[in-house]
Amino acid sequence: MNKLYLWGIIIAALMLLFTYMSVAGSEGGLNGDIVNILAVAGAVALVIITVFVVIKYVRQMQTDTADGQLADEQWDGIGEYLNNVPTGWAIMFLLTMVWGMWYFIIGYPVNAYSQIGEYNEDTQAHNEKFETQYASITGSRLIEMGESVFLAECKICHGISADGIDGKAANLNKRLEAKVVKHVVENGSNNHLLGTEMPMPDRNGLFNNNTGALITDAEIDAVSAYVANGMRGAGADVFAGACAACHGEDGKGMEYVAPNVAAFTTELVANVLTHGKKGAIGQMPKFDRLNAKQKEAVGAYITSLSK
Amino acid sequence: MFHWLEKHPFFFAVGVFLVISFAGLIEILPNFAQASRPVIGTAPYSTLELTGRHVYIKNSCNACHSQLVRPFKSETDRYGHYSLSGEYAYDRPFLWGSKRTGPDLWRVGNYRTTDWHENHMKDPAGVVPGSIMPAYTWMFTNKADVDTAYAEQLTVAQFFSVPYNKPVPMKDGSAKVVKMGNSVAEANALALAEAQVIAADMKDQNVKDAVARGEIPEIVALIAYLNSLK
Repeated sequence: MNKLYLWGIIIAALMLLFTYMSVAGSEGGLNGDIVNILAVAGAVALVIITVFVVIKYVRQMQTDTADGQLADEQWDGIGEYLNNVPTGWAIMFLLTMVWGMWYFIIGYPVNAYSQIGEYNEDTQAHNEKFETQYASITGSRLIEMGESVFLAECKICHGISADGIDGKAANLNKRLEAKVVKHVVENGSNNHLLGTEMPMPDRNGLFNNNTGALITDAEIDAVSAYVANGMRGAGADVFAGACAACHGEDGKGMEYVAPNVAAFTTELVANVLTHGKKGAIGQMPKFDRLNAKQKEAVGAYITSLSK
Repeated sequence: MFHWLEKHPFFFAVGVFLVISFAGLIEILPNFAQASRPVIGTAPYSTLELTGRHVYIKNSCNACHSQLVRPFKSETDRYGHYSLSGEYAYDRPFLWGSKRTGPDLWRVGNYRTTDWHENHMKDPAGVVPGSIMPAYTWMFTNKADVDTAYAEQLTVAQFFSVPYNKPVPMKDGSAKVVKMGNSVAEANALALAEAQVIAADMKDQNVKDAVARGEIPEIVALIAYLNSLK
C-alpha cells in the first residue's frame, strides 16, 4: 500500500466523520426517517467513490506515458491525439442537433408567447361568454344592457340623462325636436335610417296633397311642431297631406319606405349606430365596434326612455 | 487559414464580428422592413392635417394623450383595433406617449366628430362632467401656421419619398391621392379648401367668418388632424 492510498483512506474517514457529526449533531439526527437515511447513505457513497476515483487518475498521471499518433496541427507546441470521437458523445451531439432543428422550426414558433395571440384568446373567450350569457336576453335585462352600453359609449355626447347636453346632441327623451323636423323637411335626408340608402326629398320635392302645391314655410313650421309634439295638436292636416303617404297616417313609418317619426324603434337606433347620422344638430359618428346585440340593447334602452 | 486566424487575435475578432453581424442582419432587417412599411389604408397627412398636428404638438396634447392602442380587450373595446407599427409610417415623430391622463386618441376620428371637438375644446367639463382638461379657447383665435407644415411636407416628400400626389391604396380597394401644393400659395389654398369643409360643420361664427376671410384658426387645423386619426 503506498502513501496515496493511505491519504485517500484518511480523507475518506475524515469526511465520513464530518458527515456523521453533522447528521448526529443536528436536531433529530437520522430519526429513523427513510429520507434522512437515504441522504446519508448517498453522502457516504459519494465520498468513497470520489476519493477512489481521484486516486485512480492521480496514479494514472503518475505512471502514464504518452503514446498514440498526434495530429499534424499544433497549437503553440501543444498537440492533439488522433482519437476517434467517443460514441456516447457523438450520439448526444447528433441528438442535440436534431433537437435544435425541431426547436427552430416547430418548438419555438408554435409555442412562443405572443401578445397578439393572448389578445386573440382573450377576445375569443369573451365572445364565447357573451354568446352563452347575453346573446338571448330580452325585456328588462336587454334594457339594462342598453343602459350600460349607453353610459359607456353615448353619454359623452348625449349626456348621462340622454338630454343632449343643452342641444349639443339629440335629446333622446323624445323622438324628434321641431328644429330637427324642420331641417329634414327643408333639406331632405339620407341617413340610412332603414338600413339602406333611402333618400327623402327636400322641400322642392314635397307636395301637400291638400293644397296641390309645394309645402310652404308656414306649413313646415306647423308640421314640425306637430311631429315634435308627439303627433298631437295643430298641423295634423299638413302631415296627412305631405308626409303620411310615406310615413303613414300615424307617423309609424312603412317598411322599406320611410322610418318611424312617432316613436323610436330598436331597428331605427341600430341603423343609426351602424351608419352614423348627419343632421340639424351635427354629425354623429358610426359605432361599428358594438355588436348586433349591443346595438339592439341600446335601441331597447332609448325606446324605453320616451315611453 | 484558421490556424493563421488563431495567431492573429485582431483579425479573429473582425471575423467574429462579421459572422454575428450577418446573422443579426438577416434575422432583424427583413422583419423590421416589413413591419415599418405603411399598412393598407395609411395615407400621408394632408396640408391642413399636418398643420393641426403641429398645433397638437405645440400645445403638448401628447403629454396627456397617448396615440397607441395596446392589444388588450379592454382597450380595443374602447378605442378600436390595436395599433400596428406600419400605421405610424408617416408620423414624424410618432406620438405614442407613455402616460394617459386623458384617453388615447389614435383612432379618435372614428368615434368623435367636428362638432363634438368644437364643444369640447371650448369647455371640456361641459361635455365630459368632471373632466380636468383645460379649455383651449385661444385656438379659436390663433392663426394656424400652414407654411411650416408645407415645409415639412416638401422635406419628407423629397428625402423620405412620402407619396404625396401619388395614389395610396385604401382598405376598400380604392386609391387615395393626398395632394401637396407646388408653391406656398398653392399649399395655403389647399389647406383653406380643407378648412372650409371643417368650418361648415362648426357652430362658432367667428371661426366661420375667419375661414370665409381666408384665414385658418388653429382649432380648424386641429380638428382636421383629429378627424384624420382613424
